[in-house]
Amino acid sequence: MKKKYAIGLLAVALAATACGRDSGGPAEEAQAVDTAKASGSVTVWAMGTEGEKLDAFAQKFEQANPGITVNVTALGWDVAHDKITAAIAGDATPDVSMIGNTWLSEMVKTGAIEPTPADLVDQNAFFPSAWATGVVDGAAYGVPWYVETRAFYYRTDLVKDAKAPATWDEVTGFVKKLKDEGAELGVEQNFRTGSWQEIAPLLYQVGGDFQADGKWTLDTPQMVQALEHWGSFFKDGLAVTNQPTGAFPQTFVAGRVGAFYSGPWMITSMEQEGGESFKDKFAVAPYPKGPSGGTSLVGGSNMVVFKDKPNRAAAWKFLTWLTDPKVQAEWYTTASSLPSVQAAWQEPALTADERVQVFGAQLKDAKPAPAVPTWEQVARVMEVELEKYALGKQDSAATAKRMQEQADQIGTGA
Amino acid sequence: MKRRASSYVLLTAGLLVVVFPFLWTLLASFKPESEIRRNPPTLLPAEWTTSNYSGLFERMNMGTAFLNSAVIAVALVVANLLFCSMVGYAFAKLRFRFRNTLFGLVMVQLMVPAIVVMVPQFVLIAKLGLVNTFLGIVLPFVVAPLGIFMMRQFIADIPDELIQAARVDGAREFRIFFSIVLPLCRPALATLGLITFMTSWNNFLWPAVVAQSEDMYTLPVALAIFSNAQATQYGLLIAGAVVVVAPILLLFLFLQRYFVQGIASTGLK
Repeated sequence: MKKKYAIGLLAVALAATACGRDSGGPAEEAQAVDTAKASGSVTVWAMGTEGEKLDAFAQKFEQANPGITVNVTALGWDVAHDKITAAIAGDATPDVSMIGNTWLSEMVKTGAIEPTPADLVDQNAFFPSAWATGVVDGAAYGVPWYVETRAFYYRTDLVKDAKAPATWDEVTGFVKKLKDEGAELGVEQNFRTGSWQEIAPLLYQVGGDFQADGKWTLDTPQMVQALEHWGSFFKDGLAVTNQPTGAFPQTFVAGRVGAFYSGPWMITSMEQEGGESFKDKFAVAPYPKGPSGGTSLVGGSNMVVFKDKPNRAAAWKFLTWLTDPKVQAEWYTTASSLPSVQAAWQEPALTADERVQVFGAQLKDAKPAPAVPTWEQVARVMEVELEKYALGKQDSAATAKRMQEQADQIGTGA
Repeated sequence: MKRRASSYVLLTAGLLVVVFPFLWTLLASFKPESEIRRNPPTLLPAEWTTSNYSGLFERMNMGTAFLNSAVIAVALVVANLLFCSMVGYAFAKLRFRFRNTLFGLVMVQLMVPAIVVMVPQFVLIAKLGLVNTFLGIVLPFVVAPLGIFMMRQFIADIPDELIQAARVDGAREFRIFFSIVLPLCRPALATLGLITFMTSWNNFLWPAVVAQSEDMYTLPVALAIFSNAQATQYGLLIAGAVVVVAPILLLFLFLQRYFVQGIASTGLK
């Protein structure tokens, strides 16, 4: 149901805002900001845990900058997209909002988001992959706030002298060994909601991509190759499809699943699920390398400033504060969100856990999802086809073909 | 005797099926997070805890959200009972030009999904300066097409003679409506009230979009903060679900008789 809602809403939102605003032509120029005289109150929307914790965290900014107050409203991820698009259409946006970084291009198209002033924000301070998530049609919008990427988690206690697999070939052998040692369910591969995130790194690792020159490229030899690799685990019984939703990650803690691919948040949630003693029983490794390398998928959230707001100077000042390396490291200890600013990774908070450092290394070789307005729709289509493929109802060639056909119908929104 | 016993067995079995999810939810709200997701699942908590509830009230301003939900729901119930029955009365008993066309237009609204009109509606509310106000959350729902339809059907069954007698005695329309028609509508009003209350109490998207600060959040909107793409906190969500469902269950227990009557007489569910 929700998917249909989102599509309908998107269409309405785009139609409602299309009049009078033109986003064609050359890259948008940013207007200068004078943060020295910043004052007033800044309204910020932020989602989920970040939203809950940011309000208290922002007090430090208020103390350092008398005259500026920051009001954070926490919202649920479920409604965030609809709420922001409606707010744009109704001209009732906050000054600043956190957005999922796959939403950016769609919102930029409405003309409601301010380009980033280059003299204020140094693009080189960020991971290039993270910075790329904020660029639409050659212009940068907002700042990457935190990042996440995917890597390989595995149990270290099941196999003797467990050494993380370095290549695709080794992964298969590694999972076989795990299975022989009691991890009966092998590797966990998500084939339901969010499954495109499993495929994206594999596609990048064979040198493929989701789109080229404004067209979807989902039916390519590379895609088929990525699908074959992913599907081989299902076919060989090294990954299963018969577990109830939500059985994972308990199955990993119980030792029935020996490995999985996921983001940094799993470190904390593993330690919560498994208790104190579980800490030493798992490790994280970079993605095993495919034929063209070990590129992973980068995600995360950006903070954007909305246009025509009286307190834009204060808004930008808040964003520069949020992306200060020290503040980013402190935010990591508050909300476990990985810093998008490279220098923050030298701070003690991040060097303490080597598993966290693996993500830091992986971020240097990571690539975002396509920045096109229709990406969310295409991702949903892919998930449906991937599920059929994982369940053995169609082969890799048919899956690629069907994904391409449907994506072509949706288009790239260009 | 025997038939009675077997029907009780059947009813008990049916009851179990219906009640089980509620029971599970209630019990799960007293389990620690890891136990909720344990596989195979447990029914009785192995370890009783109230941490979900204390966490819920600590991390969110649940009192405010509860109050907001209640104020909005009560306001909508009152408005719908009054306006829907008024409009329903007009459609059922008064004669005026374009009556059927207008009623048709009301019915058309039943067929338009709420989501389609959401953005234009929001733009309207924003232009009126009602974003982040109670009025903004309430206004689009003060007269529901379903309510009009229900009340029209019910009032149409009231004998015309009653109304004509009142008219002959010199009563004006308002007098007829409040003294004759409304008291006869009690079962339908109870049903409409309950439906309105439930819809408003559960309504998520519209309040979530219109409420822009946390002190305007309703219960479902506040709870949604706990649901996250990566780490949904089921313990908090389930405890929240119990808090949300409890008033509706209580209301239903008290109004059950009317509810069933209302459904029987209007043929609506």
